[in-house]
Amino acid sequence: MSSGARLSVDIGGTFTDLVLMRGDGTSFSCKVSSTPASPEDAVITGLQLILDQSALEASDIVEVLHGTTVGSNTLLQKQGARCGLITTKGFRDVLEIGRLRTPSMFDLSWDKPEPLVTRRYRREVDERITSDGLVLRPLDVESVLAAGRLFRAEGIESVAICFINSYKNPEHERQAANVLLDAFPELAVTASVDVLPEAGEYERTSTTAVNAYVLPALRGYLSRLSAKLRTKGVSAPLFIGNSNGGLSSAHVARDKPVFFISSGRASGAVGAAGLGASLGEENLVVFDMGGTTASAALIHRGVLSRTNEYEFRAGMSVPSRFIKAGGYMMRVPTVDVAEVGNGAGSIAAIDPAGLITVGPVSAGAMPGPVCYGLGGLRPTVTDANVVLGFLPTELAGGALKLDVHSARAAISETIGKPLKLDAADAAFGIREIANANMVRAIRAVTIERGLDPRDLTLFAFGGSGPVHACDVAKTLGIPRVLFPPAPGVFTAMGMLASTVEHHELRAYQSSLMEIDDQEALALLFDMRENAIEVLAQQGYEEPEIMFSQEIDLRLQGQHSALSIALVMPLDRGALRNAFIADYRDVYGYAPVDSVEVVQLRVHARGRSSHMIDFKLMQAAQCGRDTRTPSLRQVYFNRTWNEVPVVSRSSVIGTFDGPAIIESADTTIVVPPGASIEPNLAGGLVVNLKGWRT
Amino acid sequence: MNTSVDPITFAVIKSGLDTIVDDMAYAVMRTARSPIVRDVLDYSVTICDRKGRILSQAKTVALHLGAVPDAMDVVLDRFRGDLFPGDVIVLNDPYAGGMHLPDIFMFKPIFSAEQLLGFSVVIAHHCDVGGRVPGSNASDSTEIFQEGIRIAPMKLYDRGVPNKTLLTILETNVRIPEMVLGDLDAQYATCNIGERELTRLHDRYGAMLDVYFDRLIDYGEELTRKAIAAWPDGEYSFTDYIDGDGFSPDAIPIVCKVTVKGNHLYIDFAGSSPQVKGAINSTLSFVKSSTYLTVRCALEHDVPNNAGVYRCITVTAPEGSILNPRMPAPVAARALTGYRVVDTVMGALAQIAPEKLMAAGEGGNTVVSMGGYYGEPRRPFVLVDMINGAWGGRADKDGIEGVTNPSQNMSNLPIETIEAKYPILMEEYALREDSCGAGRFRGGLGLVREYRLLADTAVLQLRADRHEHPPYGLFGGSPAASSRNLMRQNGEWRVLPAKVTLEITKDTVLRHEQAGGGGFGDPRLRNPDAIRSDLWNGKISSDHARKNYDFEEE
Repeated sequence: MSSGARLSVDIGGTFTDLVLMRGDGTSFSCKVSSTPASPEDAVITGLQLILDQSALEASDIVEVLHGTTVGSNTLLQKQGARCGLITTKGFRDVLEIGRLRTPSMFDLSWDKPEPLVTRRYRREVDERITSDGLVLRPLDVESVLAAGRLFRAEGIESVAICFINSYKNPEHERQAANVLLDAFPELAVTASVDVLPEAGEYERTSTTAVNAYVLPALRGYLSRLSAKLRTKGVSAPLFIGNSNGGLSSAHVARDKPVFFISSGRASGAVGAAGLGASLGEENLVVFDMGGTTASAALIHRGVLSRTNEYEFRAGMSVPSRFIKAGGYMMRVPTVDVAEVGNGAGSIAAIDPAGLITVGPVSAGAMPGPVCYGLGGLRPTVTDANVVLGFLPTELAGGALKLDVHSARAAISETIGKPLKLDAADAAFGIREIANANMVRAIRAVTIERGLDPRDLTLFAFGGSGPVHACDVAKTLGIPRVLFPPAPGVFTAMGMLASTVEHHELRAYQSSLMEIDDQEALALLFDMRENAIEVLAQQGYEEPEIMFSQEIDLRLQGQHSALSIALVMPLDRGALRNAFIADYRDVYGYAPVDSVEVVQLRVHARGRSSHMIDFKLMQAAQCGRDTRTPSLRQVYFNRTWNEVPVVSRSSVIGTFDGPAIIESADTTIVVPPGASIEPNLAGGLVVNLKGWRT
Repeated sequence: MNTSVDPITFAVIKSGLDTIVDDMAYAVMRTARSPIVRDVLDYSVTICDRKGRILSQAKTVALHLGAVPDAMDVVLDRFRGDLFPGDVIVLNDPYAGGMHLPDIFMFKPIFSAEQLLGFSVVIAHHCDVGGRVPGSNASDSTEIFQEGIRIAPMKLYDRGVPNKTLLTILETNVRIPEMVLGDLDAQYATCNIGERELTRLHDRYGAMLDVYFDRLIDYGEELTRKAIAAWPDGEYSFTDYIDGDGFSPDAIPIVCKVTVKGNHLYIDFAGSSPQVKGAINSTLSFVKSSTYLTVRCALEHDVPNNAGVYRCITVTAPEGSILNPRMPAPVAARALTGYRVVDTVMGALAQIAPEKLMAAGEGGNTVVSMGGYYGEPRRPFVLVDMINGAWGGRADKDGIEGVTNPSQNMSNLPIETIEAKYPILMEEYALREDSCGAGRFRGGLGLVREYRLLADTAVLQLRADRHEHPPYGLFGGSPAASSRNLMRQNGEWRVLPAKVTLEITKDTVLRHEQAGGGGFGDPRLRNPDAIRSDLWNGKISSDHARKNYDFEEE
């Protein structure tokens, strides 16, 4: 891993972004249309382009990093596998009953999501393990086979297995999985103990069911992608961005897709946190707008908001630590992101009450916006931006010429005529509605948590984030907007700054004062050895691995624990003091109760020697553009203004808006009265305080 | 909106308060010790302003929250001029602001410098507060003195110093002191979170906060009045029943009359049963709470949950009735009566706003308490388990199955937690086939829960209802199946009464079959595909389909 190039690929609903970083630190990027029917095709197209740009060979690539929406789209569109579930006799309905709570109160119109495995395919088998892990009744193999025969007869593709108390003794689940796989090799099988070996039958069953549901889709996709990359001469290992913003080997993603549902999106947020940290920016709203969706995440006091449980549901997610969204529960570590179905390709329409609506339906890459001339007939946010002059008449560095005339005609026809507006005002309306939709996502992670957006800075990226960021910021009173270098491909960039992660966890139940040094050390050593082995399989040698270890402690009888950093030699008194201090910080008093140990953790992170250092990003920039700026008519504040259009690489010093700053990956819209200055990390900062409307 | 009120600041403060109570609710979950609080989430949190008015409620037990104003009044009255930074007040006495003894209220006044800003309020259902039956929930006590230890409003902390006398009395009078004291600590930790966060909000917005708090409460009132004003003036009555109080088999009527008059609601319970011998009498505060939450369901969803809503609703019940009992009437199992108040008010309001409400749900949770001693050395255990629930059919869709009663938002105790913590093996937890009331939109299925005792002996206390009076249907929908309690000893099943306390021995199996939800609309109008789907999934039998829908499988 000492030399060679790393390729990072982020697939969105509309564009597929690629960033290639050469061994010497120079980076190249490109954007190609996504190919949703077989997303890997766009990767291969982009690969060829970026190799040509960089004059590298496929064999020079030593790592491929990848963010994919295959998992989330499969869940969102309910296009996953036909699933079966095998459970302990008496507990067929655990998945459907769930935890009973509703996301809002006093709302009797609420709907519980349909379970991913319908009751007919939830089959019980006779077996029982006690809470001590002892076998009370052996597994009835015949009933497992009977379930398998029903599954085969009725076209079930993927099966989850979750038995009561299996977290204490995995034998029955393993045995049932083997019986099924032997007799029905066509089935994909997920045993709960392989995904989430923790107590809590509902959370474990649900996490396992989601895994089973998305597994065939993600596995199939990764196989096709790997095969195609190989035929193009890329034999480098493939790493997938997980929902927590770290990277894991594709082998892990094939078997445990539930950890990869927010792949990509999470990497953008982690990248933003990394870049923010290098600039000393501690309070950021991360705003990412692509072709199909826009999302927001929060970095408060330097910490990116994350969660250990996550419920996936279509529509707006309202983050709350106490009440979840009432969707499909996954107990996996996840970056906490609010998302709305509103992107550049979102289609504008008029609802029966005469209001303009935008999204969630997207024209995607095909047919795309009207102005792309690929057959799209319904106006999109991009069409509005082109008509209003915010976007150039060619995109992706000239690769795509835009048909402004058709865009204007479609907007007039669909929105303008019914509302008696001219094309510009109708387009302006579309843009305003899109902005309002995205404001909702940002509100969810700021105002709805009691944080005043006026105290925060917006960190904007994604192909379309910079086109809307200043408007969105102004609506919420956010005074500053930060744009990273190459904002249009920042998520892919963010993955280049991610580490390959592996986490080990072992239950260790004891009172803190009675912890056995030898036993604890042996466990830690064992976990460390495991982690080294896992990361070695992913190409990382011990010197490249950073380790940290923690001990989870709680007061006797509690359910939740606090993680305390564990340093050697083990000092019980110091650990107790650290726990009590943390507890007092959070809960305002120092308990005198006895403290118990729940588990030990080892975190291992493989650090590529070519991981991006954001502080050095500027060095990787290409040559300066010295052309004189052109002028374009732009519809700011409902009037046409003559606005200078400059290329991104020509921006050196501070200057005032209005301005349109163009680059191959995106367009930054700077409103009148705002001022722009470059920052240390090769990005730009827009100060909105002078903006008057 | 008042011109001095900035819309973004208003939104930030409103959501800020919602976030504070959300954080507080999360803190209880993380710090509590007993499964009833930690896993089932039988607790509530709210933030009140300096006048004791509710500003925001967490998405916790709605039944508790509407009783806070009456409790707050008692606290403000008794501690007028005697509240200082670091004070914490507790109470549980139903005849002095409380509801029933297991629910201990905790109030922490929040100060900035010497100025009172507001109160953190946390109510938790404790797993035991002494008395004659483990769990302190028995429905067959006959006076409050049998039900456990009564705490009149008093200081648990006085300017930050714990009241050791009170703590010692509590410790010596409850069965599982480490859980009770641990859960009190959880309440205290949570009050501190509320204090810290409200102080932060005050640091950010200063004296302006008061203006916004007033505005927020007015806003709640305005939205509520607007909704009520849109309803036709008139009187709407409904009657529902509780099976009996455990002593007498006579049905206990709950009668309500809702009067819509302009933009105000008057809800009167005259004609309801006089107070009863068994412990299902309910304080008026709890009746108000049950009523408020049901009215709230008939409003639009964006109405904030604050004191402004309550201003628009006047609730009355005759003194000496089951809904406004006199000392020393027993009240431990009063939750059941609250559920029936919810069902009754729902039936009346459904005549006004059928599109917002539903046919009767399961009728409230069934409470299963088992307590005794087990293991070597012998350790006490008290399991308090609550079985929930199903919603009735709605105007445009089926009722939900496997869902909290809308008066609560409680969760369930995981099988794996029960088995790890108690000498109990769970045999079944499943949907109860055919238990739904038929209708154009059927009710949800009830649940089945089956327990096997592994300890040598235990005291079992059951509080179920809807044996005799199944959940009603609306607009032609059928009632749901009645509930049943069953017990197996030495291979023999027998049926138990709805409410019972008895001693059981090792390997006794207890099975509760809960009622489902009532149907909404004429069953003959049900979409045949929906019937087919229920048959295909085994949610109803072909017999049920034939009887209720005249449906024959192809």
